[in-house]
Amino acid sequence: MAKEIERAGFPVAHICTVTPISKTVGANRIIPAIAIPHPLGDPSLDPANDKKLRREIVENALHALTTDVTEQTIFEE
Amino acid sequence: MKLVLGYFSIEDIQFAEEPRLEDGVLFVDEAALSAEVLADERLRAAHFEIARPGESVRIIPVKDVIQPRVKVEGGGEMFPGMASNVDVVGSGTTYVLEGMSVVTVGPIVGFQEGVIDMSGPGEVYSPFSQLNNLVLVVEPAEGVTPQEYEQAVRLAGLKTAMNVAELVRELTPERIEEFEHLNIVESSRKYPDLPRVAYVQMLQSQGLLHDTYVYGVDAKRILPTLISPTETMDGAIVSGNCVSACDKNTTYHHLNNPVIADLYKAHGETLNFVGMVITNENVYLADKIRSSNHTAELCSYLGLDGVIISQEGFGNPDTDLIMNCTKIEDKGIKTVIITDEYAGRDGKSQSLADASPKANAVVTGGNANMLVEIPPLDKVIGSSGYINVIAGGSAGSLKADGAIEAEIQVYTGATNELGFNKMSAR
Repeated sequence: MAKEIERAGFPVAHICTVTPISKTVGANRIIPAIAIPHPLGDPSLDPANDKKLRREIVENALHALTTDVTEQTIFEE
Repeated sequence: MKLVLGYFSIEDIQFAEEPRLEDGVLFVDEAALSAEVLADERLRAAHFEIARPGESVRIIPVKDVIQPRVKVEGGGEMFPGMASNVDVVGSGTTYVLEGMSVVTVGPIVGFQEGVIDMSGPGEVYSPFSQLNNLVLVVEPAEGVTPQEYEQAVRLAGLKTAMNVAELVRELTPERIEEFEHLNIVESSRKYPDLPRVAYVQMLQSQGLLHDTYVYGVDAKRILPTLISPTETMDGAIVSGNCVSACDKNTTYHHLNNPVIADLYKAHGETLNFVGMVITNENVYLADKIRSSNHTAELCSYLGLDGVIISQEGFGNPDTDLIMNCTKIEDKGIKTVIITDEYAGRDGKSQSLADASPKANAVVTGGNANMLVEIPPLDKVIGSSGYINVIAGGSAGSLKADGAIEAEIQVYTGATNELGFNKMSAR
């Protein structure tokens, strides 16, 4: 999906846990997620901290979308 | 460490009030075995059925397959830390009931578990169709969580296998085999000129019905470690997983690991089988990096020339596999990886989720997505409706006449990544 949407002219930020797979399949903006069963949050955290974590991931993805890249890039926080 | 395996060939299983082994026929007391299973209050009902090779029987949903074994000499009992006290196993003498297994069946935990067809075109997809199967069918008590239920069934299967194997404790086996595991100094002195080869076994460790246990420890909590191959023959590794049943290692697989068997055959002849490393396949990227780092360090520490790596499962564990492969190769050690493929029903998609040019020697167990149509069988042990929800099946997989249309993914052991199955292609 990431490759096809980019081919249509839109930048894509791929949020995923196993970033090496994202690199292998050719995503350009890669945002590390938390874990395979719960990529966008951490159920072991209390709700307030979980929300904070979730917001950070989304903000990191938005930051990636607006950043020019010249090669496949992993956006570590 | 030296282990002697003594084999008894089981030609048939029958129910009887007096349990015994007589002329290759195993007589088991169903009432006594069921009573032992039902001592666990997490299970509401239990009964046994017998499924023999060639019978028109489908077993679904299969959770685990276990070969009955009993330790008659040496430390510990079978399945240490899980179904018996924690003790080091892998030496002494263990008796094996060949040609049979205990199969555990019961309502599914989620969308998992597998199928064994005892005859018909589905027979070739599960190697367990060739065994006399003592099938334990259970139902969970009300209010029991999926986690408790899974654990209760797992223990019930292991304990049943141990109880059955007790019948041969005082008998004399038909044939024996010896397996010796020398320490690294001794094996280096004994075989100074042979290539040093080890086995890296990856263990599925991703949560409920995706877990494996080592001496009772959940494998997601281990760091990669050395283990004697003979320990695995005594049940040091126990399966707690069967999701996408085609490429999960049942406890039977762990007890009869063909990679270990073949390395032992070559040991002292064409190679020095130095030892074995077990590692996990966790759901956090940091765990994958840490475990593959540690696995490569252990291989380097052993001064190896070559490593065989077997994967368990597919998808994100493909990354664990490729990390293990590339990091071991980077130590100057040659690798061969054993995996399977999810290449789509037409076989045209990318087979693995991850890849590397360093993975240049690959053995595959086949394409799990291959779609098959299997006519109905006369009898179902368990419940055939689950075919519509287990991995590899989909809504409509079960036809009105009892036939099934599903991916071979549903068959227990169909694309096993230890090379256990016998399917091949030209």
